[in-house]
Amino acid sequence: MHTAQHMLRTGRRGSLHEFAMAYADLRASVPKLGLAWSLASHDVISRYRGSILGPFWITLSMAFMVLGIGFLYSELQHISLQETMPFVALGIVFWGMISLVIIEGCETFVHASGMLSQTSLPMFTFVWRTLLRNLVTLLHHLIIIIGVLIWFGYWRTMNLPLAMAGLALTLLNVSWISLAVAISSARFRDIPQIVTSVMQFSMFMTPVFWKPDFHSPMMKLVLVYNPFFHMLDSIRGPLLGAQPALQTYVVLIVMALIGWALTFSLFALTRRRIVHYL
Amino acid sequence: MKAPPVSITVKDLTLRFPVYGVDAKSLKKHLARVAIGGRLSSAHHGSAEVTAISGLSMTLKAGDRLGLIGHNGSGKTTLLRALSGAYEPDEGQIEVKGRIAPLLDLSLGIDPSATGLENIRLRGRIAGLTTKEIDAKMDEIGKFTGLGPFLAMPLKTYSAGMAARLAFAVATAVDADVLLMDEWIAVGDADFQKIAHQRLLSLVERAGILVLASHDMDLIRLYCNKVMRMDGGVASPVTSIKDLDQLLAQA
Repeated sequence: MHTAQHMLRTGRRGSLHEFAMAYADLRASVPKLGLAWSLASHDVISRYRGSILGPFWITLSMAFMVLGIGFLYSELQHISLQETMPFVALGIVFWGMISLVIIEGCETFVHASGMLSQTSLPMFTFVWRTLLRNLVTLLHHLIIIIGVLIWFGYWRTMNLPLAMAGLALTLLNVSWISLAVAISSARFRDIPQIVTSVMQFSMFMTPVFWKPDFHSPMMKLVLVYNPFFHMLDSIRGPLLGAQPALQTYVVLIVMALIGWALTFSLFALTRRRIVHYL
Repeated sequence: MKAPPVSITVKDLTLRFPVYGVDAKSLKKHLARVAIGGRLSSAHHGSAEVTAISGLSMTLKAGDRLGLIGHNGSGKTTLLRALSGAYEPDEGQIEVKGRIAPLLDLSLGIDPSATGLENIRLRGRIAGLTTKEIDAKMDEIGKFTGLGPFLAMPLKTYSAGMAARLAFAVATAVDADVLLMDEWIAVGDADFQKIAHQRLLSLVERAGILVLASHDMDLIRLYCNKVMRMDGGVASPVTSIKDLDQLLAQA
């Protein structure tokens, strides 16, 4: 069916109008989720084009990493494999998703410059593209997660709904961070470098491999003020049968609200300019 | 079914480009400037701005085929991009009623490592077609390219002319009310030129409005019934194609 479209573009009419236009962009991106999905899956497919296993390399390379690090840390920390392996496996998989959504966020607008400079596609389409691409990757890792949970028997004690809620909260947070770095990377080309090193550092500051220990006050400080710890714990905790602290949910919800408010404002104020940054 | 009204209304459009130099993109320079900002004059601060279009007004209705002429850098492509919705006006207003198809860059959304068929799908999705619509048009597009079995091969194995055929076929497969074209129609060999011309004519007939930027006056005469000349971002009034010679003489 042929639908008539209507496009109205105007000069600046005050901040309120800018926010209304930014909201219009967000709303217009909802019907474009299908396009974002097509672009995202095309990204994944083209990355592994020509290889025999194709995107299942994602699964395989992750499986090797999980096995290797799982055994190593079990030996190093003298903790049973039963405890270490699921912890490390879930840690690496979900950390990978969190950090890649943020790191790849740097390229969201830069890579879309062709489409942004000659179509009226909503800019949020490309934010969803980055997010969906990493969800496709996560789906490939699902087999590892399920395998580990079944092998070590955690499927009996896990709290799946709570873990899903944690995943949703985490996605809500990484998506605003991803948008924020997307805008700033378009304007300042140093940002991707900064983001990459911050994420690398954060990997060691976050209990991805090592067990969090709340006894030392220094350690407690590092954990409580590390947003990534709360993201990871809200997903991994329930899957391993633990109940994340109430504090974790408070941090995640407050951070999502403040983060989205600030980032959306940044988007509203820079929206017209982003295409010229590229 | 009555066709929906198609129109383009532009009022006092002014478009400025901030020029972010290589310097301006570095955070260090920016921070350094903020730190010592007080002392530096505004000449050192802020990026230069280029006014690409100033005070442009025009109205187009269904059936109008506007040819945009003017020297390089006179603002033709910028106007097309503004009409496509990519560039936001700094002042004034653009209103477009109807489905817009910007055919500004043939290589938009084309992935060289993907096959011809995959590229047709991808490009079609970007142009706003649903997967079903693309499936329905696939045979027709494939036939039009004349590439046959090559459609299953990666685009990087194509010659430039073959790639252009594919891109042209997909780009023109859309049902559009407003067609925006930059000068790139001359693609492919003589055979292809002929069928491409026919396809463009039928597309132009189906579309309500065509805006075509070109340096080729024969092309303008062939496709357009109205013409507008741009010079340094300032546009002449929209006049009939009959006055093209007069308009050129003023240059």
